[in-house]
Amino acid sequence: MLSKFGKIITGSAVAAALMIAMPAVQAQTIKIGYNSDMSASGSAEFGLSALWGAEQAADEINQAGGLLGRKISIVARDDVAQPPKAIQNTNELLDNEKVIALIGSANSGNMMAWLHLPQQKKIPVISPIATATDITKRFESTGENYIFRVSMIDRDQIALIVAYAVKATKNKKIAFIVDSTGYGQQGLKDLNQVLALHGLKPAAEEKFGGKDTDMTSQLSKIKASGADTLIIYGLADANAYVLRSMEKINYFPITLGSWANVNTPVIQLAGAKLAEKLIFTASTTETSTPKAKELNAALLKKHPKMTAFVTAAQSYDAVKLLAAAIKQAGSTDGDKVQKALENLGTTDGVVKTYQKPFSKTNHEALSVSDFHFAQWKSGRIVNYEDSVTKAITPADLLK
Amino acid sequence: MTEALLQALISGLALGGAYALVALGFSITFTTTKTLNFSHGDFVSAGSFIGLSVMLLLTGAPLRGSIEALVVHGNEQLIAVFIAIAVMGVLGIVLYLTAVRPFAGKPGMAWVMSTIGFGIILQSLGLAIWGPAPMKVPAPFGEGVIRFFGVGFRSQELLLICVTLVVMGIFDWVMRKTLIGKAMRAVAHDRNVAALMGINVNAIMLGAFFVSSGLAGLSGYLLAPIASASLFMGLGIALKGFSGAMIGGLTNPRGCVIGGFVLGILESMINLWQAQWREIVVFMLVILVLAFKPNGLFGKKMVEKV
Repeated sequence: MLSKFGKIITGSAVAAALMIAMPAVQAQTIKIGYNSDMSASGSAEFGLSALWGAEQAADEINQAGGLLGRKISIVARDDVAQPPKAIQNTNELLDNEKVIALIGSANSGNMMAWLHLPQQKKIPVISPIATATDITKRFESTGENYIFRVSMIDRDQIALIVAYAVKATKNKKIAFIVDSTGYGQQGLKDLNQVLALHGLKPAAEEKFGGKDTDMTSQLSKIKASGADTLIIYGLADANAYVLRSMEKINYFPITLGSWANVNTPVIQLAGAKLAEKLIFTASTTETSTPKAKELNAALLKKHPKMTAFVTAAQSYDAVKLLAAAIKQAGSTDGDKVQKALENLGTTDGVVKTYQKPFSKTNHEALSVSDFHFAQWKSGRIVNYEDSVTKAITPADLLK
Repeated sequence: MTEALLQALISGLALGGAYALVALGFSITFTTTKTLNFSHGDFVSAGSFIGLSVMLLLTGAPLRGSIEALVVHGNEQLIAVFIAIAVMGVLGIVLYLTAVRPFAGKPGMAWVMSTIGFGIILQSLGLAIWGPAPMKVPAPFGEGVIRFFGVGFRSQELLLICVTLVVMGIFDWVMRKTLIGKAMRAVAHDRNVAALMGINVNAIMLGAFFVSSGLAGLSGYLLAPIASASLFMGLGIALKGFSGAMIGGLTNPRGCVIGGFVLGILESMINLWQAQWREIVVFMLVILVLAFKPNGLFGKKMVEKV
């Protein structure tokens, strides 16, 4: 039997041990790094929404008891759309924060700048936003590719856009107008190649500067070519000015675009009415499925200003897939998690239920068959369907 | 085809009007002080945000709120433009006192760096206040498209062209017919002789920076409904405005305005041909003009005294 004094001693000792152990318990938190522009560029809305989606997934996992008996947390860094800052963030997340996986970025160029760091350190990366086709391909030939994606892919979006254009055009005259940034130029290359697969050539192809506000000259030429279908491939703000210029010359063919138009500058600059003239690709919208509606409602409650639900959903799914892989691997070791990601079974997500989302040779969880069309309607993004979208078959999706 | 050409002409004139106002601003400071304000573009951006903020405050909206839902009346627009001009004009005086006067006329080109630095400070302050996202600004006469012989344009584009022509006319009259204009020309000609003739050279120079920066504020205010208010919009406009001034002749205000308009129309016409060649053609032209007529097409021959 312990004396009173002894009890105090043991009590204090237990308390002291607990206090020492506390930081150790906290250190047990599984940290997932998030690195993206959240403030500076036109894609910042994408980055912010994706962070909120990832945090929501982490919260849900923690409420359900965590992962491997530990809590998970998202450690976020803003790269302000600058590659040097993005690299600095990545080093800091990997070396100081000791994150076990990375998620990001909003800009493909930024992501390309830091990808080699986690690849060298064998830390898995999932991109829930950036769309450049090369992101998952860069380290494909090295044997162990640590880069995965749950997002739209440029080439696949274009496959869907062109499939729609070919079905919708009455006079087989499809025109392109693209911006002069890397995004638009790569898009133009893909557009030409995919249209050629359908045995067609563009009726006109025009370019504009990313900061231009008057594209009437280029559109006059397209109008003169007789095109009844127009594909706009640029970033949100410039696309809004293309729409405004179309209004000036009163030329409204069937108008298609990429998911860049999910950003609010489109409705702010072009106005709600004009923005509705454009249909664009999306992997999911807040009205797609009951699960999407539920996630959107939960996120809007916490972040009433959230706009880009699509990246929030993709990011939410990215964390869920990562968690499933960690569970399957029974470890947070990068090498084991990468193997588990390549061998995941059925996993539930918001965009869809993933059946073996990744494999050794395929690091894209989504592809053209998962994409559909969306549209701005009264200031929100909704699903778009018409007789043409319903008539598109898998055989039309050439890429 | 005629329609497309007319459309390009109107679009080019609107663009050129913005360049012309900026070119005139460059010309005013150069003729009187022999310096240039390299932060002119940031003054244009800041002017657009000052105008927008005044409208937001007058209508009781939060400073970083969206203007979409607001109804902005003519009075508010008028107050906004005068405040934008005044604030930028006063900032121009601050620029002159802090970044130009201490260095102007001294060996070396410290004023180049100090005016660029002033612009960076202005832009960073703007980023802290308004954030990096572009903001939509309502046009005083509405957003509707006006159609004329099949050519479409917005009221703001017409307003910009008209205001530029009126400003140019007034400036021309002041420079040629009034005492203050004569004083400015005297200072431009030789500041020492002007001082001996009893002209307050310092006041003239302060005035030149006030007017030049006020013009930047005016162009920012006029451009905002066309290009939306953005802290990054000024640089491109300033570069093209400066090019317009070089083509027309930096020392000739009339030439500067013509140079600005010519550049705008040229850009629009090149878009009608091959848009990706636009920047190449424009800057090749600037280089060619400078090679054959170093003082611009309408510039007077100038002798630098060392």
